[in-house]
Amino acid sequence: MKRYDLIIVGAGPAGLSAAIEAAKKGLHVVVFDENLRPGGQLFKQIHKFFGSKEHQAKVRGFNIGKKLLAEATQLGVEVQLNATVTGMYLDKEVIVKKGDEIFHFKGDAIIVATGASENSVPFKGWTLPGVIGAGAAQTMMNLHGIKPGKKILMLGSGNVGLVVSFQLLQAGCDVVAIVDAAPHIGGYGVHAAKVARCGVPFYLSHTIQSVSGDEKVEKVVIGAVDSSFTLIPETEKTFTVDTICVAVGLSPMSQLFKMAGCKMDDNPKKGGQVPVCNEWGETSIKGIFAAGDVAGIEEASSAMIEGKMAGVCASEYLGYCSSAEQAKDLENMAKDLDSLRQGMFAIKNRGKKIETTMEGIPISTNLLKKGFLSDADIKRFSPTKKIAGVHPVIECTQNIPCNPCQDACVRHCIKIGKDITALPVVDTTKTCMGCGLCVAACSGQAIFLVNEDFSSDYALITLPYEFLPLPQKGEKGKATTRSGEILCDAEVISVKTSKAYDHTALLTMKVPLAMSEKARFFKKVKSYA
Amino acid sequence: MERITEHPILGETKKGREISFLFDGKPLKGYEGEPIAVALRAAGVMTHRYTQKRHEPRGVFCAIGRCTDCVMIVDGVPNTRTCITPLVEGMKVQTQDGVVAKEEKGERSK
Repeated sequence: MKRYDLIIVGAGPAGLSAAIEAAKKGLHVVVFDENLRPGGQLFKQIHKFFGSKEHQAKVRGFNIGKKLLAEATQLGVEVQLNATVTGMYLDKEVIVKKGDEIFHFKGDAIIVATGASENSVPFKGWTLPGVIGAGAAQTMMNLHGIKPGKKILMLGSGNVGLVVSFQLLQAGCDVVAIVDAAPHIGGYGVHAAKVARCGVPFYLSHTIQSVSGDEKVEKVVIGAVDSSFTLIPETEKTFTVDTICVAVGLSPMSQLFKMAGCKMDDNPKKGGQVPVCNEWGETSIKGIFAAGDVAGIEEASSAMIEGKMAGVCASEYLGYCSSAEQAKDLENMAKDLDSLRQGMFAIKNRGKKIETTMEGIPISTNLLKKGFLSDADIKRFSPTKKIAGVHPVIECTQNIPCNPCQDACVRHCIKIGKDITALPVVDTTKTCMGCGLCVAACSGQAIFLVNEDFSSDYALITLPYEFLPLPQKGEKGKATTRSGEILCDAEVISVKTSKAYDHTALLTMKVPLAMSEKARFFKKVKSYA
Repeated sequence: MERITEHPILGETKKGREISFLFDGKPLKGYEGEPIAVALRAAGVMTHRYTQKRHEPRGVFCAIGRCTDCVMIVDGVPNTRTCITPLVEGMKVQTQDGVVAKEEKGERSK
C-alpha cells in the first residue's frame, strides 16, 4: 500500500488550491480525480468571476483553472486522473478504482474536495431525451463545442440557470424562457439583466407541467403556481422546444465522509448532507478535512479559499508548519473568505426578506420578478443629475461582493470603498476619458458609457458585447431596452476589442438623444441588405 | 445538433481528427477523443437506450458520468457511460435495450 503525506480527493478549484498550499509547505501530495481532465467544473466557466483582485475577479473561470493547474504542476503535485475514490476508511485509507483495477492508498491526512452534483426535479416527461442538467449544457457547449439544442427552456433562475442561459445565447442557441417556481429570481440581478436585455422572458411563480414528444423533447407546457407551489388551472403556456435545462440547485457529494465515520449534518442552507466541520474545514476526525462545495454549496471563488485553508491546516497537523505560521496564513484567508460571504446573497442572509440595499435604497422588485430594472428603479439608483460628455452609467443595484470596476478606472471615477459589497458610485468630480475598461471589467456587464453630448440629436451608448458575429462599424440595427424590446434604430459607431477587455467587445452605438436612458443592447437586423 | 465552430469567448473549437464509427451498424462520423455522446448528438441521435421494464427512451442527462442515463453497448460492453468515454476509430456503439443491444434483441427472442 502506497503512503502519501496528504491525499486529496477531487482536482477541482478546492482540491487544487489545497494541493498547492500543502505542496508549498513541503508535503508529498497526491490528488485523485475521477475525470479524464483536472479542473473540476472550472473549465466550463467562461464568464468573468466576481469578487475583488484577491479572489481573481474579472478573470474567466477557465483561465483561473489554467493558472491553478500550472501552479500545481510547477510545485510537483501528483494528479492521478481517471481515478475514482470509492472508499474512505477510519485510518485514512482510501480505495481507488482505475479502469477495472482497485488500488489501496494510505494518507496521513486527507482533504475531500469532491464538490457537488446537480439536483433534478420530477415532472411529467422529465426522463425524455432532451431534458438535461444545466451543467450538462455547459459541458457540451464549453468543453466539447456542441450546441445542446436549438430551442431551450431553462428551469431555475439561480446563478447557474442565469449564467448557463447567457452561455447558451453565446453558443448561438435560442433560450425561449427562464422558468422558476419561486416568486423571485434566485441569482444575481446583473446576471438576469444581461439575459433579459437579449429578450429572454422570465416566468417566476411558474413551473413545468409537462414535457412531451415522440422519443425526444418537442413541447413543454408551463403553468403558474400559487404560494404553496400548486399549479393554478388554466394558466398554461406552451413552447415548442427541443431541450429543457434543469438548474434547480446542487447537492454536496459527501458520501466519503459518512463512510469514514465523520459526524454529519443535514443542513438545507448548505445544500444537504455535509460533514460537521470547524471554521477551517476540519471534520470530527482529526486530519480529515472538507473543502469547497462538499462542505456546503457556495461557488468556486470561496471553494479555492477553503481549499487553501484546508491545505494549511493539514500541513500544520502533520508538523510541516508551526501553529504560528498557520494562524498567520489563516487570518489572511479568513479575511478574503469573509469578504465573499457578505451581501444580499450570502448564506447568512438566505431566506431573509431584504427590502433596501445597505445604502438604504429600496431594492428593485422588477429586477427580482422580470430580470430587468424599471425606469423608476433607474431614477432611484442613479439620480438624474446630468453629466457632460462621456461617462459611466452603472446599473448595479444589489449588494454583492464585487469591485473590479473601482480598480479598472485609472481616473478614479468609480468608487466602492473598502467594503466590496457596497454599490459603486460615479464620482462626478473626476473626468471620464471613455476608455471603457470599467465596461469590460464588470463581471455583471452592468456598466455602460453614455455620451449625451455627441450631437444635438444623438447620444452614444457603449455596451459590453460577447456574441458572434461581431457587428461592424457603420452597421445599422436596432437598439433594445433592458427587457429586450426593440426601441429604435441604432448605428454602430465602433466595435473595440482588446486584450485588456478579455473577449468582451465594446460596442458603441448611436441612438436618438431621447433614448439614451433606455437603449441598452444592440440587436442585429438579420435581413439587413 | 449543430457543432459550434467559433465561439465569442473560446474562439475556434479544437477537435481531433475526423473518424468513423458504427452506430447500430450504421457508419457515422465523429472526432477522435470526444465523448461518444457528443458525436451522437452531432449526428442527431438523442436516444441512447430503452429502459428494461417499460422500454422508455433515455438520453444524456448529466454529461459528466454521474447519472448513467446515457449508457450504451460499446464494443460489446453494456452500461458504458457514453458521455465520458472517448470516441475511437471503428468503435461499435449500440443502442441498449434493457441490458442487450436493441438491434440484436429481435434475433435473440426468436
